[in-house]
Formats: sequence, C-alpha cells, structure tokens
Amino acid sequence: MLENDRNQLHKLVEEALPELDMMIGWAESCDPLQTTPVFIRDAKSISKLTLGPFCSQNLAGYLVKPPALDAPPKPDAKPIGICVKGCDSRSLVALIQEKFITRDRVRIFGIPCRGTVDFRKVAQRVPLANVKSATMEGDSLVIDDSGTPLRLDLEEVLARKCLGCRYPNPVIQDVVIGQEAKPRSSSLAATYRDVAAMDAKPLEERLAFWQSELDRCIRCYACRNACPLCVCQDRCIVETREPRWLTQRVGIPEKFLFHFIHAMHLAGRCTGCGECERVCPMDIPVTLIKEKLNKIMEEMLGYSAGLDPEAVPPLLTFNPGETEI
Amino acid sequence: MTDSSPRSSAPADETAATKQGIKIVGFLCNWCSYGGADTAGVCRFKQPTDLRVVRIPCTGRMDPLFIAKSLIYGVDGVLVSGCHPRDCHYAVGNFYARRRMEAFKAFLPFMGIDTQRFKYTWVSASEGQQWQKVVTEFSEQIHRLGPNPGVRLRSGDNSKVSSGLR
Repeated sequence: MLENDRNQLHKLVEEALPELDMMIGWAESCDPLQTTPVFIRDAKSISKLTLGPFCSQNLAGYLVKPPALDAPPKPDAKPIGICVKGCDSRSLVALIQEKFITRDRVRIFGIPCRGTVDFRKVAQRVPLANVKSATMEGDSLVIDDSGTPLRLDLEEVLARKCLGCRYPNPVIQDVVIGQEAKPRSSSLAATYRDVAAMDAKPLEERLAFWQSELDRCIRCYACRNACPLCVCQDRCIVETREPRWLTQRVGIPEKFLFHFIHAMHLAGRCTGCGECERVCPMDIPVTLIKEKLNKIMEEMLGYSAGLDPEAVPPLLTFNPGETEI
Repeated sequence: MTDSSPRSSAPADETAATKQGIKIVGFLCNWCSYGGADTAGVCRFKQPTDLRVVRIPCTGRMDPLFIAKSLIYGVDGVLVSGCHPRDCHYAVGNFYARRRMEAFKAFLPFMGIDTQRFKYTWVSASEGQQWQKVVTEFSEQIHRLGPNPGVRLRSGDNSKVSSGLR
C-alpha cells in the first residue's frame, strides 16, 4: 500500500514539476528510522521522494526560512511544491493566515498520516546501530535487527503528538496521496491528556518538574529554529541586545524565560506540530508547554490554530463584548 | 517611584514581610490607572509602600513577558492596571490586553508559578479610592503569600523528576 502511494506521489510530482520552482519532500536517509528533507528541482531526483511513518519533519517551515525563501519571491515566480501531513498542513494554513506565504505560491501534496515514529522511543527498545530495516505492518512496527524480527506496538513508538492527533488528514491541499486516515482522537480530553495530567499535580510538583526538565536545556534554540511559526528569524528577542531580554548566563531563570518567550509568542498561533520537541537534543517535552496554551485558546476563546486560512489568531484581535473570558 | 508618582504613607501594621522587603511591580496605564494612583496620592489616601510603578503608554503595550520576567527573577507580585474596557485612550488597547492577560493568567500555574502573584484590574483616573482598595488588597495578598521563591533550584533539590512522557 505504501509502495502504491509512493508511486502515485512520484507520478504526480513528475507531472507537476515543470510548473514548479522546486519540490520539497522527504527522502530516505542512511538511517532506516529517519528520513531527510529534500529539495528537488530536476526530474532525475524525483525517485528519491518517499512518504510513510518515518517522515517526521514538518516541511512547512522551509517555506519561510532559507533555502526556499532566500529573497522575496518575484511576482512571476513559480509555485513551490510541498508534501504535508495533517499537522504540517495546519502550519501551512497558519503561515497563509499571517500572510507569510500566499496560497497560490504553494502546490500542496497532501498526505494522510497514520502517525510518525519517534526513533528515540525505538532506541529505548533496540540499539539503533543494529536496526537494518523497519517496516509498518498493520498496527505494529517490525524492526529487523539481523536477529528475529522485533514487533513493536505502534502506540509505543509513535511520537507523543501523534497519539492525540485529531487532524491526520491535511486540512488544505491540491492533491491527496493515499487513503484517508482515521483520527486517533476526537475529543479535547484525549488530545490534551498530558496537559491534564500535569494540571492534576500540585503547584510545587509542577515547578519541580519544569525545574528538572528545563535544567537540562542548553539553549541551543533548536526548538525555535525548527518551529515553522517562529518567523522573526535574526530579530528574535532572545538574541537581540536591544531590547535585551536574555543574558548569556546559564541559570534556570534564563531557561524559564526563554521557554516563556517561545510559548507566549506562539500563543494562539501554535498548531501543535511537535517540531520543537522532536528536535530537542535534551529530550525536554517543550511541546507540552505550547499544548497548554493551545488548550487555553480552545477552552477560553474557542480557537484552534491552523484550520481556517481566513481566521485571525485570537491574540491579534479582540471582542469588546467578552466581559468574562 | 518618580517625583510625580503618588506619595504613599506606611501601612498601618508593618508585618515581617514588609521588613524583608516585599516587592510588587505595578504596570500602570498612563491615561487611567497612573492618574488614579495620582488622585489617590493627592487625596492622601493611605497606601502600602511595596509597589514600584512602571508607567506604560497603554495596557495594549503590556507584553505578558514583562510579567513572566518579573516573576521568574523573583519579584513578589505583579499588578497591571489600565482603563476600564471601552474607556481606552486609544480605543481598543485594553481589549487586546484583556485577552493576553487572561491567557497568561491561566498559563502561569502550569509552569509552577502561583497565579495569585499576578493581578490585573481596571482603575480610571478619577477612582482614587478604588486604586487605594486595589493596591491595599493586592499588597495584603502578596504579604500572605510571602516572598517569591522564584524558579531557581534550591540546593539539594537537584533530583531529577522523570517526565514519563517519552
């Protein structure tokens, strides 16, 4: 089935490529559990394109960061083709909403997603160096580590954000590849169960939790760089000297403030794509911070980011009538 | 406080916390609450001395990160005050502020910071008495909570709490 989808993707891209400036997609890497982003301009490279449970990167961010956007697009520029999963498509919608890209600038290849594999979860079960190949069979991931094949339950190896996924199918697209996927969650409670578990703890425990988690933060800013909606780029206030929000000190307050800055700047904009957590080299659950704000936005203002290209993010607008929000 | 800011006399009962130096930062809108505080001063209403006032042009200027930074670095309380809704000097600044403050207030406890250390309120320039009430109540509330421990790790408190998320 995956093979069919891949062939279909290759065929569609081959047809579309002459009209495209470039095609952004995933390609297999040296690691069977991870893919790498590719930027395709010639027909020869199309065969590199792949899809499936290891395509964890959110490619939407590349549209607003180099190399896809080194300079402002010319008026006659051809559109950019891009592969998106359900969560990635929400990032695209958010970027269109905030006018960072126009709808006609992108040709969207939508890919229904059955969840992406978090290779770090697999690494807890089997040494990554031993993994020869990995394939999906129904609801399990089969790992060939040159011994007896190891079957891992999908629930155990999926990325955390995928477990409560409500939008596995792209919300915006030009073409769809493959069959529609079934959402893993249909309720707010299931999507935000990790947030609820945190909220159930007493205040001191929550502080201790974040102190211990954020203590590991090395402020590499990978979470910010990977975030498709962190669009200030070299004007990010965590690095500017004027205004000077953060110093180079290594204390916990600086780390807290950095994550507050990241979270508050994404409040009402974050689509929960989980890129920040995926790229964190220190295994800090940074997406959880944004999930809490997303939950607040949904409960308080009834807004989920990245669904409607015409909507305005709730903190960029107001309603005089709401006296009790 | 600057010279033009309202003078305040010492609170009637000096608690231990006052001696330790409780610090409250107040972000006041230039057009309403700053005037309200001035009115309270001119009328010689008794006010607690814990408040340090930062004058902002409008509560619409109020970045929730001002509050975050204050509380993270150990300020004991943050009070934000502006014009009543529909009374904003710039027509809509406080509407934006209201949403941000509400969202931030709900978010603070998730990170382990007591939401009682933050309050936002609306006080107009003529409401000297209201200002006295707000600032006295908030100051009392912060005194009850005591000094803000901030987010720094206390020594011997370095044990790793497992996230259990991955």
